[in-house]
Amino acid sequence: MSSDNKKNPVLHIPKIENGFVFDHIPAGLGPRVLEMLRSYTGLKDAVVTVGLNYRSGKLGSKDMLKIELLDLPDSFLHLIALIGPGITIKKIVGFEVVGKYPLELPEAIDNLARCRNPNCVTNTERHVPTRFERTGTGSRYRCSYCERVFDLKELELRLP
Amino acid sequence: MKRDLISLNDLSLETIQGYLALATQVESMPDAERRRLLAGKILAVLFYEPSTRTRLSFESAMFRLGGNVLGFSETGSTSVAKGESLADTIRTVEQYADILVIRHPKEGTARLSAASCSIPVINAGDGTNQHPSQTLLDLYTIRKLFGKISGLRIAFAGDLKYSRTVHSLLQALGKFGDVRFEFVSPESLRMPSYLRDGLKGTGCTYRETVDLAAAVAECDLIYMTRIQKERFPDVLEYEKVKDAYCIDARLLKGAPSHLRILHPLPRVNEISPDVDSTVHAAYFPQVGNGVIMRQAILLDLLGVKP
Repeated sequence: MSSDNKKNPVLHIPKIENGFVFDHIPAGLGPRVLEMLRSYTGLKDAVVTVGLNYRSGKLGSKDMLKIELLDLPDSFLHLIALIGPGITIKKIVGFEVVGKYPLELPEAIDNLARCRNPNCVTNTERHVPTRFERTGTGSRYRCSYCERVFDLKELELRLP
Repeated sequence: MKRDLISLNDLSLETIQGYLALATQVESMPDAERRRLLAGKILAVLFYEPSTRTRLSFESAMFRLGGNVLGFSETGSTSVAKGESLADTIRTVEQYADILVIRHPKEGTARLSAASCSIPVINAGDGTNQHPSQTLLDLYTIRKLFGKISGLRIAFAGDLKYSRTVHSLLQALGKFGDVRFEFVSPESLRMPSYLRDGLKGTGCTYRETVDLAAAVAECDLIYMTRIQKERFPDVLEYEKVKDAYCIDARLLKGAPSHLRILHPLPRVNEISPDVDSTVHAAYFPQVGNGVIMRQAILLDLLGVKP
């Protein structure tokens, strides 16, 4: 690192021409987001850059992730939001930021999580898509089938 | 658009009161008039778990409204035993009937059934989750006994952990508000925390205790439950608590005269037969109210006005 960079540290993560930047990922969750990414076939050939443990005024330290892709399905954005509420997403077109917004917890989680109740019909019948509905303003969700309420941390997230 | 009866969580207080009013209206009708209401309609009864009361009660309700019934009460002789999926069974049965009632040991089965067909579905019990027709008949019974629901002091006693009847009724009573609950159970069968938490903001209060005698002396209503052997993962745990509570005539000696005892039945040892002849026993009239309420449910979901 040059002496200039020591005075004014910059993020050594290349700019992308078109795609999405996920910022303010709580440090340590970057690999989990990456793991989810790798299971999403739509991103099979996309260029993905991951940066870990950057200093952050807001979080102390954070991870960051850049994806070169023109579009992302809502289900994927919901999944990222579920992994780390508060993550921000920037849409990049021609190296410019054209949109920036925080990822918020969805009111419903459709087929992105497995119910933790082993006696729930979604775990005993084949091909039943799961659904969880948020019970308030926090991170608790009710299974629409067995009606058990779980904290988001208890749910096993997965891409459909 | 078709309507179903799956969970108390789906029902507003207004809808519940509508069912109570409809049941009152049905009960006041002469039998001959009632028998014309659902003539030509067919109820499919799919019971994947043993049941006496609920199944017979639905069948009686349908017959007394002039309708017919088909179905099964065990899965050994059906395609279920061959590995047929629930959704396929439901899609098949909807071709044979106008309305369907299902009991199943897995939670969420009724919801999945309702999503798989275009005829109304009634949940007659899904695992340890919900049993809404039992709840509605319990509410109907309570209102008939006391003329009100809010303002009562109600004890739930026995298996509060696994009893779906208790879970459903508690949620419904929470909607009425201003009910004081006593949760009487062994430590291992306490009311689940998500249900206790669900009372926040309802205007209801609760106290947990192991003392059934105190509840008998202080409450308006005792809702007894059977300790359900079939719900225990470990039979040794069942043996420890199976006879934890028993109401008998001796225990009721100090009870206020207005105290009433309900039980979803079947009972084993938790209510002694010597209670049956006391003024406190209300569990057999409760069974009769079940037929009335299930008639109201069938009429409502089939869109037939009495």
